Amino acid sequence: MAESEAEVPKAKPRPIVRLGIFLISHSCLFSVICCTAGVLTLLLLPVLAKNTYISENALMPGSANPMFSSQEVSEANRLVKSLTSLDSKPVGSGIESQRLIAEYMSDLGAEISYHKFYPRSNQFHPLHFFSYPDSGSTRENVSCISHGLNTVGIIRAPRGDGKEAIVLVTPYNSLKVGPGEALSLGIAYSVFSLLTQVTWLAKDIIWLVADSRYGEYAAVNAWLRDYHMPVFSGLSALKAEICPVSNVHNELKENSVTERKINDGFRRAGTMATALVIKVTDGSEHFEDSLSIYAEASNGQMPNLDLINIVNYLAVHRQGLRVKVEKMRSLINCKWLKILGEILQSLGHVAKSLNPQWKFGIPAKDYVEGAATLASSLYYQALGVPTGPHGAFRDYEIDAITMEISSRVALNNKARKNDFLLRGGRLIEGVIRTVNNLLEKFHQSFFLYLLTSPSKFVSVGVYMIAFALLVASLPVVAASLYADAHKVDPSFGIDKSTPQASATDELSITPRSCKWLNAAKKVFLVHLWGAVVSFLPYFICQIPSCTPTTSFVVWVLLSSFSLPILSLILGSSFSYGRPSQPQKRDWTLLKSVTISAAFIGLCLMSVINFATAEIGALLMVPMCLMAQPLKLDIRSRKLRKFLRVACNLALGFLGFPPAGFFVLKGAFEGFGGITVGDFWSWLESIWSWSSATYLYIDEMGFSVDVTERDDIRVQSG
Amino acid sequence: MEPKEQSKEKKEKLWFWNWVIASVIFRLVLIYFPKNLNLASRPEVSTPLTSLRRLAEGYWLKQLSMSPYAGSMYHGSPLLLSLLGPLTVKRIEGQPDHLLCSLVFVIADIVNAMLIRATGQNLQMEYTRSLKLLDHVKLSEKPEIIPSGDIAALVYLWNPFTIVACVGLSTSPIENLAIILSLYGACKRQAPLAAFGWVIATHLSLYPAILIIPMILLLGYGTDTPPRKLFLQRRNVEVGDNPPNDRCCEREEVVHRSEVPHVFSWRPVIHFFCWTSLWSVYVLVLCGISVKQYGGLWELFKRTYGFMLTVQDLSPNIGVLWYFFAEVFDFFRNFFLIVFHGNILFMMLPLAIRLKHRPCFLAFVYIAISSMLKSYPSVGDSALYLGLLGLFVNELADMQFSFFLFCGYVGVSLLSPVMHNLWIWRGTGNANFYFATAMAYACLQIILVVESVSAMLNHDRKLRKPLTELQDGKN
Repeated sequence: MAESEAEVPKAKPRPIVRLGIFLISHSCLFSVICCTAGVLTLLLLPVLAKNTYISENALMPGSANPMFSSQEVSEANRLVKSLTSLDSKPVGSGIESQRLIAEYMSDLGAEISYHKFYPRSNQFHPLHFFSYPDSGSTRENVSCISHGLNTVGIIRAPRGDGKEAIVLVTPYNSLKVGPGEALSLGIAYSVFSLLTQVTWLAKDIIWLVADSRYGEYAAVNAWLRDYHMPVFSGLSALKAEICPVSNVHNELKENSVTERKINDGFRRAGTMATALVIKVTDGSEHFEDSLSIYAEASNGQMPNLDLINIVNYLAVHRQGLRVKVEKMRSLINCKWLKILGEILQSLGHVAKSLNPQWKFGIPAKDYVEGAATLASSLYYQALGVPTGPHGAFRDYEIDAITMEISSRVALNNKARKNDFLLRGGRLIEGVIRTVNNLLEKFHQSFFLYLLTSPSKFVSVGVYMIAFALLVASLPVVAASLYADAHKVDPSFGIDKSTPQASATDELSITPRSCKWLNAAKKVFLVHLWGAVVSFLPYFICQIPSCTPTTSFVVWVLLSSFSLPILSLILGSSFSYGRPSQPQKRDWTLLKSVTISAAFIGLCLMSVINFATAEIGALLMVPMCLMAQPLKLDIRSRKLRKFLRVACNLALGFLGFPPAGFFVLKGAFEGFGGITVGDFWSWLESIWSWSSATYLYIDEMGFSVDVTERDDIRVQSG
Repeated sequence: MEPKEQSKEKKEKLWFWNWVIASVIFRLVLIYFPKNLNLASRPEVSTPLTSLRRLAEGYWLKQLSMSPYAGSMYHGSPLLLSLLGPLTVKRIEGQPDHLLCSLVFVIADIVNAMLIRATGQNLQMEYTRSLKLLDHVKLSEKPEIIPSGDIAALVYLWNPFTIVACVGLSTSPIENLAIILSLYGACKRQAPLAAFGWVIATHLSLYPAILIIPMILLLGYGTDTPPRKLFLQRRNVEVGDNPPNDRCCEREEVVHRSEVPHVFSWRPVIHFFCWTSLWSVYVLVLCGISVKQYGGLWELFKRTYGFMLTVQDLSPNIGVLWYFFAEVFDFFRNFFLIVFHGNILFMMLPLAIRLKHRPCFLAFVYIAISSMLKSYPSVGDSALYLGLLGLFVNELADMQFSFFLFCGYVGVSLLSPVMHNLWIWRGTGNANFYFATAMAYACLQIILVVESVSAMLNHDRKLRKPLTELQDGKN
């Protein structure tokens, strides 16, 4: 809005116009202040974090005494024992364990069904980013030889109507059941057996024993897809055509003694209120039993904060577990972070001594921990790759988390093991009982937040400030550049048409106010190229048997070829060494348009995935603001200018996605053994989750970078 | 020199046709990816009035000899139903569904572009003629006048909104066709064509009814010219040496000059009204026949125009009315319905007075305003007025905020689907997120209208400036 306000200086401008003019005329100072403030606010976020609270009143966590008792623990032990004994027996097929679990389930009186799925390679599809999880249209990737088998048990709630359900997920490898997996199955089983007896249950309980032979996520995702997209006869016939129906069901039935409750069909239990993924690891903790919460789903989505609150509350206050969320370990020992934390601590002390009401100081150690947690929260959200099988649920608007319970010592001691099982079981029972109280879906608390510790969070309203401060300089600078371009001698605008009066380039003869169209065309071209570059891998991965390195090389070659082709097609004046002397006005307009495009892109991304946008803004905003024609700087041989050139080049280099990736990777893991193929594999891993981050990195990253380079090169060439 | 210029002209023409063909190919390519794009279900593209899926449903009901308006699915015209309906059920093996309909829309788009181009050429001719008449020193120096018709046609064809509306199976290309047809007819002063276009446009989407004022002005005065005062002034300057007592005969002389149609000619207007009544009777009879067994014309009006005017469907779209009427108390509803629709009517008269010398531009302003305030707006409406905006590139060259508006349109059109996704599919956002973009969009449209009108008035002022200087110099 502010951009053209400078163009028409009125005799007596209104205050808002005056403010706009002031900002535009001091855009340099303003942008420096804004950027610094943005970075500072980002660093302050751990201080600004609030304590979590349970927002939904209906939940009432921990209001009932746990019914989970040692009887259930013995049930769990029974299952664990038989699973481990099964494991020691050398039975070839992996069906045995499923059969065993199904037998146990049916003894409890649950409905049981098997879900057979074919793992399919996650494939990147450029057009499937913002649509609903794809329907069964991409069934061609299934391989018929390998299939997994999920076992699903459902308890019908005595007080429910079968319209709502809570899901328990225990992923385990059916070929080799590890001790942790056996324990997680044991806990889930004991809770399940308790829930068959209780009277308060109002939502059905689904226990999904996911076969993680082909990955935990794949199994859960396949089940969810079939749950939500009913396969009708036509499609199932199609499926049968593709893969001959193996007789797993018959096999299972023949073998099982208690087959009365096993159903052929797919069993459903209404909409899912919550899903809990239960995992057990052992022996890694030093102090006490602990619970790790993983919450990040695809594209930086998070489950409702209330779910994490419940788990945290029950784990800490009822079961005495230590709750952890992921941290960036490398940051904890970071020197400068510690110093910053101490500075903030002392600042807090000073503030407190001035006015005892001000309590914003936090201890330095907390600050460092919070920052490390925040960094990892940002990192995983930015990556857009789910941190566990819970990620599959979020795509269907179901709140889910993974609870990884780990014990202090190896669970050889029987009493210790029983105690562990008891606490884990009680925790899960408590969570289920709380969620059972829920009247609607989770909606009361936040969906957009960052965690700084299990009980502290930064809400969207706070972290957006950091981002907004960071990008606020972009429109102002764009406006001031735009105004500059129009101020630079107006007589110039008339003869501008002569050099470019080619027949193809008609818009160039438009008068002054539409000058930006040329620059916009250039920027559009570069963005189009960015889009092409980011869609190319879709075609490249169709090429069979390609190593990452060769694919990467093919990609680079194709991308570099596509740019001249595109510019040829669009007939643009996109050539580097054009004889017409570089004009300052052209350049300012180009920069202005580039910055506006970057601003739009960043704002868009901040809505889709905040963390990506924040990291992108940290890289791109300085790049956008600093870009200057190289030639002018080099001519004027001053140290300051030279520094600016160096900064420009460094930022341009870092901002180029592959280069940035290699530098970061080198910084964290050492430069040895990095190949170009790594970037390819990394990208592959991202797009396989159809992460918008991928699109973003490529589209925005490449585009902005190339535009900047073009800026620089046009001037130097 | 001349052959060179000719070849250049040829080249330009070739260039124009290349782009037209490219746009057709682009559309056809997009039509073959309908599954992946899923545009037909986007709220931005298909409103309850323009969705082809609803039309197919209405046709289906009609085939079952039920009222096509049963069940509040279809709210369009019965004529459109009988025209497009048979095409919706026809499937060609191995081709995408609704291929025939898509082709119809593509053709409609091309025809639209051609009509816009013809209108633009007409306008441009008038523009150069009036500049010559005014003998404008500064403007005649200007190297060349941009072929606004070509630009407008290309802007219309390559506007992403148009492409999306065309490929997204909404009937808005047809509605746009009717509106553009009427404008074209009026520009060419062909009263039957203008009347036909206006009647069909009004019948299809009701809001173009307000275009009657520009139609009358167009037919009465002819296409856009600088204000008539200027011509008088020009004459004054020319005959300024003469004693002032013969001003009356000088006026007469002006009137006599056939190039400048200063007087309002009633003949085409009366023709227009005759034809309008004829066409409307014809359309009503046709409609009456087709809905005879389903409740007659009254039912038809209630289900189509009533549905539009009372905003019954509150499903989200890019307009602002759905949210407002979802929030407003029921007993205020009628009041606000009147306020919102009165808004369009209130703006009609002042604009008509101020812009009566530029009826085409007035039509553009009306279309922009109505597409902002109409009950179920879609991107197809924006596509229409953005295409018409291209007709005035010469006049609006110095428009302010053009860059800001461009960025705003790009930003909003990207942000709006994202917000919708956040609200509907991810569940992390809510209706306010989406409505915020709708409001931003409405603001952009307001700025566009305000700025374009002021730029147009400035342009007129600029034309007057040398004249007054001349006059002052003489005096």
